[in-house]
Amino acid sequence: MSHIHIDIEHVSFGYETNQNVLNDITFTAHENESIGIIGANGMGKSTLLKLLVGLELPTKGSIYVEEIPVIREMLPKVREKIGYVFQDSESQLFMNTVKEDIAFAPRNYGLPEEEVQAHVQRAMERTHIQHLKDKSIYKLSGGEKKQVAIATILAMTPDIILMDEPTVGLDPQNRRNLIKILNEFNHLKLIASHDLDMVYDTCNRVILIADGQIAADGIPQKILTDKELLECNHLELPLRFQA
Amino acid sequence: MSKLSGAYYEIHHMEQLANEDQWVNRIHPLVKLVITVLYIMTVVSVHKYNLARILILGVYPIAMFILGEISFADSIRRVRLILPLVCIVGIFNPFFDRQVIAHIGNIAITTGMISMVTLILKGVYTVFATYILVATTTIEKICYAMRLVHIPGILVTQILLTYRYISVLLKEANTIMQAYLLRAPHQKGVQMKVWGSLVGQLLLRSIDRADNVYASMTLRGYHGEFCYARQKKCSGKDYAYLLLWVAVFGILRYII
Ligand SMILES: Nc1ncnc2c1ncn2[C@@H]1O[C@H](COP(=O)(O)OP(=O)(O)OP(=O)(O)O)[C@@H](O)[C@H]1O
Ligand SMILES: [Mg+2]
Repeated sequence: MSHIHIDIEHVSFGYETNQNVLNDITFTAHENESIGIIGANGMGKSTLLKLLVGLELPTKGSIYVEEIPVIREMLPKVREKIGYVFQDSESQLFMNTVKEDIAFAPRNYGLPEEEVQAHVQRAMERTHIQHLKDKSIYKLSGGEKKQVAIATILAMTPDIILMDEPTVGLDPQNRRNLIKILNEFNHLKLIASHDLDMVYDTCNRVILIADGQIAADGIPQKILTDKELLECNHLELPLRFQA
Repeated sequence: MSKLSGAYYEIHHMEQLANEDQWVNRIHPLVKLVITVLYIMTVVSVHKYNLARILILGVYPIAMFILGEISFADSIRRVRLILPLVCIVGIFNPFFDRQVIAHIGNIAITTGMISMVTLILKGVYTVFATYILVATTTIEKICYAMRLVHIPGILVTQILLTYRYISVLLKEANTIMQAYLLRAPHQKGVQMKVWGSLVGQLLLRSIDRADNVYASMTLRGYHGEFCYARQKKCSGKDYAYLLLWVAVFGILRYII
């Protein structure tokens, strides 16, 4: 079995006020896979990603990241392997300046300062945000915050990337650049998004979530072209297949 | 600009000041912290009737404002709320301590008046010394310096996060107020009956934000000890700067 993978076994989850967000979900994500998680609003895409990094813990079932169980005691180990971009990137950033925020993770992993700076530099180059280096994070635009949030996790050099709506707020050029970054990252990534064109461009597997369960799981060429399936889940064909 | 966004702006303006690349900003944070503490101790230790000495000690803030190119007007505006408090401290002295020691024209000068002025000056100097530190050093660097002198990590992290939380709270408050005012364009201020829910919302939202920030920190490897950017070691210049001020304080306090 390959080294990088996530196993999700019969996982159920509900928030206190909202029992049953996810119901008996089972799947395995393998190395080199790029999985698009799609589904209507409120179907539990973000919740699924949160479960994978242990921000929420399943009420039933279990999750393993590279054989490590996602339980409270193991969270630091699990989180070292995963980079997670929040849906709301505003609340993901907390340091004073952009470069300090990007340096946060490498510093925590105890890298020497020159290496920290090298990581920061590379992450900024890849996301094209060198010009924001010394800016206060409170003075960034919505899309800039997203780019910085993406840079902060690239600087961690994770095995696995989870992204929640990464293209929201990006202009077309930065969106294209993000697609390029995603395509260059070929360990394992899970991307929750409504941007089905981006999913089509970056993913080699699509999981459709509906009513707490996996409604479809397969290659994008099959699921993202299935008009009927998408429409009964409040989704539409990617733009390229419309017309 | 509303009061809230004004306050919010101020905080970030201060951070920007602290982030500038001036010579004072470049001095090692530990040196600045030590100088500030020493200065405050020196000022506080002066005897309450020793007005002359207190006046001379004003040389530190004055020198720093001039040499560090810190705007004095701005600083007055920022500490305007604290200064009156500092002044109130000494205000009763003239009433209790009425021994006359001199006359200027017809006005009798009492020891109480002297001690009032000394006390007020002590307060004012302390506030300005702290302001100078904050205006030239980012909060991260101050916290780093505190860790270097082994102030417990948990305490320092508290300070750092409390400081961050102020921004979060202000920003959330500002967003809520703007959303409210945009949908109630003909009102002045906020209606009594929605205050409760606004304040409740503010609390919930800022707790939520703080939760998210904490999650984001742990996701990026935070285990309870904040890793500050390692500053370069104290250089010869830093030591020289420290010695200079220690000497000045020593001379002003004990010799002149
Ligand atoms: N903190 C919370 N407490 C209670 N219920 C929540 C919480 N967060 C989300 N929910 C609920 O859980 C369900 C799934 O939410 P989730 O955020 O995972 O949806 P999503 O698929 O990411 O939606 P979107 O496409 O809008 O981002 C929703 O019904 C939502 O109302
Ligand atoms: Mg979501």
